[in-house]
Amino acid sequence: MPKVIIDGKEFIAKENETVLNVAERNGIYIPRYCYHPALSIAGNCRMCLVEIEKMPKLQIACATTVTDGMVIHTQTEKVKKARQDVLEFLLLNHPLDCPICDQVGECYLQDYYMEYGLKKSRIDLKDKNRKPKRRDIGKHLILDNERCILCTRCVRFCEEVTKTSELFINSRGDHSFIDIKTEEKLDNDYSLNIADICPVGAFTSKDFRFKERVYRLSSTSSICLSCATGCKIKVQHNNGKIYRILPDPNIYTNTWICDNGRMSYKITAGPDRLTKSIIKSEEHHLNKAIIKLFDILKEAKEKNLKIAILLSDYLSIEDNFALYYLGFEILKTDLIYASKEKEQKIEDGILINKDKTPNSNAVSQISKLYGIKKYEDLKDCDLLIGFYDDIEKLNIPKNKSVALSYKADKEYDNLIAIKTYFETEGSFINWQYFLRKTAPSVSAPTDTISVYDLCLKISELFGYYPKEKELNKIFNELKYKTED
Amino acid sequence: MNILLNDNFDLKTYITNGGYNALKKSFTLKPEEIIEEVKKSGLRGRGGAGFPTGLKWSFIPKTKTQKYIVCNSDESEPGTFKDREIIHKNPHSIIEGMIIAGYAIGASKGYFYIRGEFAREARIMEKSIYEAKEAGYLGKNILKSGFDFDIVVVRGAGAYICGEETALLESIEGKQGKPRIKPPFPAVKGLYGCPTVINNVETLASVPYIVIYGGENYSKIGVEKSSGTKLFSVSGPVKKPGVYEIPLGLSFKTFFYDWLGGMKEGEELKAVIPGGSSVPVITAEEAMNTKLDYESLQKIGTMLGSGGMIIIPKSQCMVELLYVLARFYHHESCGQCTPCREGSGWIEKTLNKILNYKAKKQDLDLIVDISNNMMGRTICPLADALAMPVISFVQKFREEFESHIEGNCKICGK
Amino acid sequence: MLSEKIKQNLKNIISKYEKKESAIISILHEIQKEKNYIEDSDISELAKLTELPYSKIKAVLTFYTMFNSKKVGKYHIQICRNISCHMAGAKKIEKYISEKLGIREGEVTKDLLFSYSTVECLGSCGTAPVIMINETYYENVDEKKIDEIIEKLKVAK
Repeated sequence: MPKVIIDGKEFIAKENETVLNVAERNGIYIPRYCYHPALSIAGNCRMCLVEIEKMPKLQIACATTVTDGMVIHTQTEKVKKARQDVLEFLLLNHPLDCPICDQVGECYLQDYYMEYGLKKSRIDLKDKNRKPKRRDIGKHLILDNERCILCTRCVRFCEEVTKTSELFINSRGDHSFIDIKTEEKLDNDYSLNIADICPVGAFTSKDFRFKERVYRLSSTSSICLSCATGCKIKVQHNNGKIYRILPDPNIYTNTWICDNGRMSYKITAGPDRLTKSIIKSEEHHLNKAIIKLFDILKEAKEKNLKIAILLSDYLSIEDNFALYYLGFEILKTDLIYASKEKEQKIEDGILINKDKTPNSNAVSQISKLYGIKKYEDLKDCDLLIGFYDDIEKLNIPKNKSVALSYKADKEYDNLIAIKTYFETEGSFINWQYFLRKTAPSVSAPTDTISVYDLCLKISELFGYYPKEKELNKIFNELKYKTED
Repeated sequence: MNILLNDNFDLKTYITNGGYNALKKSFTLKPEEIIEEVKKSGLRGRGGAGFPTGLKWSFIPKTKTQKYIVCNSDESEPGTFKDREIIHKNPHSIIEGMIIAGYAIGASKGYFYIRGEFAREARIMEKSIYEAKEAGYLGKNILKSGFDFDIVVVRGAGAYICGEETALLESIEGKQGKPRIKPPFPAVKGLYGCPTVINNVETLASVPYIVIYGGENYSKIGVEKSSGTKLFSVSGPVKKPGVYEIPLGLSFKTFFYDWLGGMKEGEELKAVIPGGSSVPVITAEEAMNTKLDYESLQKIGTMLGSGGMIIIPKSQCMVELLYVLARFYHHESCGQCTPCREGSGWIEKTLNKILNYKAKKQDLDLIVDISNNMMGRTICPLADALAMPVISFVQKFREEFESHIEGNCKICGK
Repeated sequence: MLSEKIKQNLKNIISKYEKKESAIISILHEIQKEKNYIEDSDISELAKLTELPYSKIKAVLTFYTMFNSKKVGKYHIQICRNISCHMAGAKKIEKYISEKLGIREGEVTKDLLFSYSTVECLGSCGTAPVIMINETYYENVDEKKIDEIIEKLKVAK
């Protein structure tokens, strides 16, 4: 294990570690553009130049492997001047787009300029190189070649991560620019990660464009529920509105997230968000709706009608178990069904799972523990309560269903407006058997309710007041992993 | 090697003049012995860097893996046209040198990378390689030595940067010619990831002589740290421009008057770029007082470089000339790393202003500052190759630049 | 559109190289030999035939300046504009050619025979001024020589 000295402090490095990694691991930040931990080393931005004793020229930290006894300096005048000069070169032809550029607040050029630059521009605006701007590159991205600093993170991402090689550098010198085949669209399933890794405002997300300033966003750590991979994400929001989702890179599950997962926050708002419950085709405020639902259930119980409950791979552990409790303990029905086990694997070699539901591994365990029937066994019933997506998939007659839904759908007589997991907590077990929880980032519409609370309220109306312990005991029975 | 040979380059002529005897002798020696001879000879890379050839060969690991010899025939350094001469007049000397080099380092394959514009020269090399193969000097079990060697000619397509070793390798591999980060060096990880030696045409063409006459005899020509002969390609308004083979250490004065015949009628010597446009310019006075070898030129702040000597007359405005050079480097920058990509364009733009009497006073110090900010901070020395002319031109001919900034130039006629 | 000759020759060219990708520059030279420029559709076709990404081939095409992406004349005149040729009067040569043919840099004559561009050092500085027409060098050129060359080319097959 090589020993190195950085800025006067001694550190122990790993075999074949680079100066940049050793430094970063030990709290010494070296500025960089082209280096990214998940991509190959390019060494072209020259921002990470550091002074290494016994070497006459400054060396780039990202590509220099440490040797035993290496002495490195990151704060000498020589290094500071190099950073200042590299910044000057980077900003030379850079357009003054800050007022209209989405990158503001997370722009490496702005941030490094304030930290290491602060040099006045020495070129006339009219002498700056002009390049194509506002290029519609694909479903999700806009490319501005003028802002681009040619760090090649995007090119390397397409080559190494998605292995689709759409992007390339056209021409050479300061006329070079990131390009794509004219009729081709950059719409591999991970394109929006490019907007994340682009250190400047060259690649921007169409969805986020011009909507909010980054420095006004709050970040909430949560998980994606678009498939069984259950990527860790950061939900970014301001004033009760979600603006975008970013990946929360971790060693367990994901460095990136897929475009589909990134757009999943759209279910919270939009024209077809269900904001009020519908009972017998009439819209009601929440409390009224709950009472009316209770009336329907009470009547059904008295008439000994067949009431079915569907557990759902889309819903959280808490919500599923509350539904089970409602069905088994309160409604005294044994017509409780769940999905059969699903095959789980990463189907594209990157992140997207064959199982498109987030909680199969929890529900299948609950099914085994409590002898739950399978969806296939569902034949006949008079009334069914379940999650909207499941009811749709199983083709159950809409007039018999009470669908728990985020989406409005005129075809249904009974829809209960529920909170999404962007608005409430929920525990899920992903394909790796990690137990993780969503965290609310925004408030749900006033007349929505979580499935858990709905079951609780109905239970109360039936005269039962289950203790939290009762509904949470499932967590002691489930098998799962936690991160170290 | 004799540059005065006729333009008759076939195999028969070569053999008549002792060709391929060095190869025959090589097979009686061990590979390490050949490397020793080359080390003893003091031969230094003739492409421009001047790195000791024997030392370069000795960096190749002795393992039995795939290795390559690459001949750098990119010759795009302005003022340099000597390798083309060797191809015209003595192509087999290059081939023989390559085979011997391959034998010395254990490479079974050689690549001859030639700039795209040299289409005629590429055909000459292909014909010569074919001749050599037919005669048994290439292919399997050459001259019953047990040594296999083949050479493939690969053409470039117009990129000066492909003269840089690792950019050249990228080009052979079919990619954009962008230099690689070093380390790892080509001797460890070169072409297709294998140990590779890249040598200039002239360097390899010098090898047969060293094998026949021995490294020590080669080192007796020239001067102590600059042994052997060097081809100088001379252009500019001298009476006899062209390619000359000189013993290193020859005084510039002698070379200029006795060999080149001095300036053309009506022209006076003002400045000399001794070794290709990337080396600092020297004044006529400095030139007249120096010798043509690596150390002497380094002592006066310039370099031997490729030996592409450019003679500059008093009738030529230095501002205009520097602009032409800046335009060249800007055009040829691969664009990979920030200082060179942005700095080269900036310098060209600013020099354009100075040239056209539109510059501000601070623009002169600006281009020197940009050059200093580029130097030593890039992946390859192209940035330095631009910086050095800029700094030296301004340093030695400042009055001409200041004149342009003030709005006039006697030479340009304003 | 790639010609049949090229399509049939592809395997042959690729076999000379150790990796398929390494043949790209050579193939592009072959395509250019036929019609003196390379179209984007050629690149798309080549990508499909060789199963190499379009992006890799286009990157090479646009990096190397010998490749013409736009249509040029049957005879494309490349005038060296670097240091020694400059000192020997390259600008005058350019002006002469431009006026003689009635075109500017980047344009093609009406009979589609000629176009010109200025290029960097061609590696024959001792015989400056130097021009290259397609892949042939013409050294020590002056106005008289240029007249001769152009006349010869006008009637050539």
